[in-house]
Amino acid sequence: MTRATRIFMSVIYWAFVVYVFVPLILMVVMGFKDSKFIGFPIRSWTLDWYTGVFSDTETLSVFGYSVVIAIASTAVSIFVGTWIAVLLDGRKFMGRAVIFGLTILPALVPGIISAIAFRIYARLLGIEPGMFAIIWSHAVHNVPFVTLVVIARLSTLPKSYTEAARDLGADPFVAFARVTLPYLMPAVIGASIFCLLLSFDDFVRSFFLGSYDPTLPVLIFAKLRSGMSPEINAIATVALVITAVLGIWAERSTRRLNKENA
Amino acid sequence: MSRLTLNRRRFLGTAAAGTAVLASPAYLRKAYAQGGEVNIWTYTNFVPDSFKEQFEAETGIKVNIRLVDDQGKQFNLLAAEAPNPTVDILTVAGHRFLQFIDSELLAPLDTDRLANWGNINPAFSESDWATIAGNKWGAPILSGMEVMSYNTEVVSEEEAQTWDTLFSDKYSKQTAYIIQDMMSIIMLKMGYDGNMVAYMDDPDKAAAIVEEAKAYLIEKKPLVRKYYDSGAEVQQMFVNQDIVVAHSWNGPAAALINDGFPLGMSIPKEGSYGFVYTYNIANNAPNADNAYTFLNAILGSPEIGAAMTKASGFISTYKGADQYLTDLEKKSTSFPEEQLANLQFFRAEANEMKYGLVDPAVEEIKAA
Amino acid sequence: MTSEAASADHARTATAANAPETTDRTFWGRIVNWSPYRALVGLVYATPRRQFLILAVFPVLWVLTQHLGPMLQMARISLLDAYPPSPGVAPNFTFDNYARFFGESIFWMPFIRSLTFAATLSFATLIITYPVAYFLARHVSRNNRMFLLLLLLIPFWVGEIVRTYAIMILLGNNGAINLMLKWFGLIDRPIPFMYTGFSLSVGIIYLTALYMLLPLYSALEKLPKSYTEAAADLGAGAWTRFRRVTLPLTLEGIASGCTLVFLISTGFYATPVLLGGPSTTVFAETIAGFFHVAGDQWPTGAAFATIMFLTALVLTAVFNRLINALRKGETK
Repeated sequence: MTRATRIFMSVIYWAFVVYVFVPLILMVVMGFKDSKFIGFPIRSWTLDWYTGVFSDTETLSVFGYSVVIAIASTAVSIFVGTWIAVLLDGRKFMGRAVIFGLTILPALVPGIISAIAFRIYARLLGIEPGMFAIIWSHAVHNVPFVTLVVIARLSTLPKSYTEAARDLGADPFVAFARVTLPYLMPAVIGASIFCLLLSFDDFVRSFFLGSYDPTLPVLIFAKLRSGMSPEINAIATVALVITAVLGIWAERSTRRLNKENA
Repeated sequence: MSRLTLNRRRFLGTAAAGTAVLASPAYLRKAYAQGGEVNIWTYTNFVPDSFKEQFEAETGIKVNIRLVDDQGKQFNLLAAEAPNPTVDILTVAGHRFLQFIDSELLAPLDTDRLANWGNINPAFSESDWATIAGNKWGAPILSGMEVMSYNTEVVSEEEAQTWDTLFSDKYSKQTAYIIQDMMSIIMLKMGYDGNMVAYMDDPDKAAAIVEEAKAYLIEKKPLVRKYYDSGAEVQQMFVNQDIVVAHSWNGPAAALINDGFPLGMSIPKEGSYGFVYTYNIANNAPNADNAYTFLNAILGSPEIGAAMTKASGFISTYKGADQYLTDLEKKSTSFPEEQLANLQFFRAEANEMKYGLVDPAVEEIKAA
Repeated sequence: MTSEAASADHARTATAANAPETTDRTFWGRIVNWSPYRALVGLVYATPRRQFLILAVFPVLWVLTQHLGPMLQMARISLLDAYPPSPGVAPNFTFDNYARFFGESIFWMPFIRSLTFAATLSFATLIITYPVAYFLARHVSRNNRMFLLLLLLIPFWVGEIVRTYAIMILLGNNGAINLMLKWFGLIDRPIPFMYTGFSLSVGIIYLTALYMLLPLYSALEKLPKSYTEAAADLGAGAWTRFRRVTLPLTLEGIASGCTLVFLISTGFYATPVLLGGPSTTVFAETIAGFFHVAGDQWPTGAAFATIMFLTALVLTAVFNRLINALRKGETK
């Protein structure tokens, strides 16, 4: 690798970092603006929007509700999506293409249509609108993303690994749990990030399948009716900080668990 | 939002007065005794928090509010839930009544059960659009209108008296409008009936008019900065100085004025359209009795109407609500008499034909 | 240690633990020697056919009931002449809603535009994020890598709407960039960035970058350095090494990223509507229009959605076939 390409690459990386962070910084700063609308110029500053987020228990409970929905739906999507990927990988059987097509179907349907379809189908299945219905719709919608990511990784798993395990007498369950699954871990983590993100930012399905408790995006859309205010920016910032802390804590504790098990 | 100063005695007073004159007070006693709940779909701040708390405390009825952000989604959600909705009261824009009524999603409103019905300004409660098929369908709470809003540091008051300013070369690429709404206004500006009720028997004429309005907007397309959809967008465009003059609803514009932004509003001389937000009772509402109790209570005092106006920027339909507004709030929610004379209300009778023609035209304008 | 090595390691420990003779006291040892478990394994793995059936039954049931079920409801609606049904009128079956699409060119245009848009976007995202992923996976030491990757993930957690408005106050006539340029005396009049192809791209790459970045990163990360080094030893220049070694070996990641981006970008709605100019109608917007504006026409919207996802399905299939063929060609 030449020095020039190395510098070139790092410039691109840091330019990209700037690109993704500038809107974020603007968002955080606007939360301090003493006005009902974001934007320049900022004539006076206030802490009220941020303290308001913490004094209004509703906002925090809405955030908690969204987090629970995101985690639960991600768990379901990962389980189902990985299973489908294992079924589809490297096997030739009748109807494989059909199953693959059906698997990615929920990702192909525009939001509003999918939300209404889920709403009508939920009634057919007797699912009441509310937390369970939202989790269900998010889980189904996110399965394709899991399958696509996992299958990409699975296809690169050298056959020799599982074969070696089988040759040495491991039954397929154990071979899967101890060879395939650890190999899939990076893909599963990546897919989880997608699922959490998709669920956490989903408005339209949450709106149609939810009951009277709003998720975070539903609350933000409702508040947006009276203008993009610094309050919304403050809520988003606080949500971001809590999510980041939760994420780092989860990453740390899984690392610690892994070390203890090792 | 400033706190409501609705005191307990006054509230009890109106509630008691209501009970006294109601034809069948039995349901009220039942509601008071049993508590229960009432489910409402509405926009943020349309039910003032302090009113909600007080109502819950006084009646024992729990108020569940589901925030909606757009009429279309509300219609879709209700249609998906029909015929057994989870909602009791929803918030419909007056000119969309017909769509809800045609799909049997609304129950006719029995105004005899609302002792406080008389607190609404008759200009709204008895207006021609309010009665459809011989029935009232909703209690008017806030009124909105299509206005021309403009940055007063750039655009003069004289220029703001005509819609032509929105299409002038002087403000090229500094304008924005909601294209569906603009179609109605352009038809009005050209001297036609933008509600298209006049052409219900003459579809060819209607088609020709829509064609003419479409051609005009396509011709003027190079001058527009943005076709937008939501009030938050137009507010942000003004703040960012991406535009200096726009067609908008009065509510979002009033909110900007109240925040100190140099914005003006006018109803131009060619005329414009108004609409009214109403609280409506859903067909097969699970808690219809509680819904009536709630509606009667929220119509109880002009202060409640003023609180809704402060939060939304739309004009209150309550008699005497303006006495609870600050001078700036009054200014941002009132228009000179001569401008109000140019205003008509949206009507829904011809909507099926109108939007059958307008929707494709809008697509073509965007694609042009 | 690379993940391959880790897995190989796992394979060894797993097999060592599971040899029937050993009296292994580990978790896995206890499990595999537990008689009900052994009976279950015997039952499930009796024949390859049974093994396959047991593996297949859950996914097949899931996709039929959960994925196909809701869409069949939509497909049914797309064949009706009215929905929600008017009271007292039984809806009739009709193909008119599909005919309407093929009959009116104003509907094809956003449709074609959406597909080209999604394809262009996939390609643009690939070009932009490939160097970023490459830098992370190949140039950064293992310790910093996770940190720098996580750093990149943070901004994507801001909701789409809040972020889009932040971009507006960045690019507006009175936005951060214009104010800065004016401060430095570089411009007198603000540059109109907003509501152009530029503002649209700035907003939209945000929505897609992550879905491209992670698959690319994971593909590049597994690629052993020795491969490119060997090629360098054989005298291949940087560009040749990239084209002949790195690129073919990361095709899987590219395919996966492009498919993900293509799929999600056909459904984009809010960001194009908020940041685009007056002429950028995407098909998702057209479809949503049938559900939103005053003349609600669910059946037409449903029919258009059906056309949309069938087309996207076919295009995705063709694309993946192509990549597969390409990969086989390269490894020959």
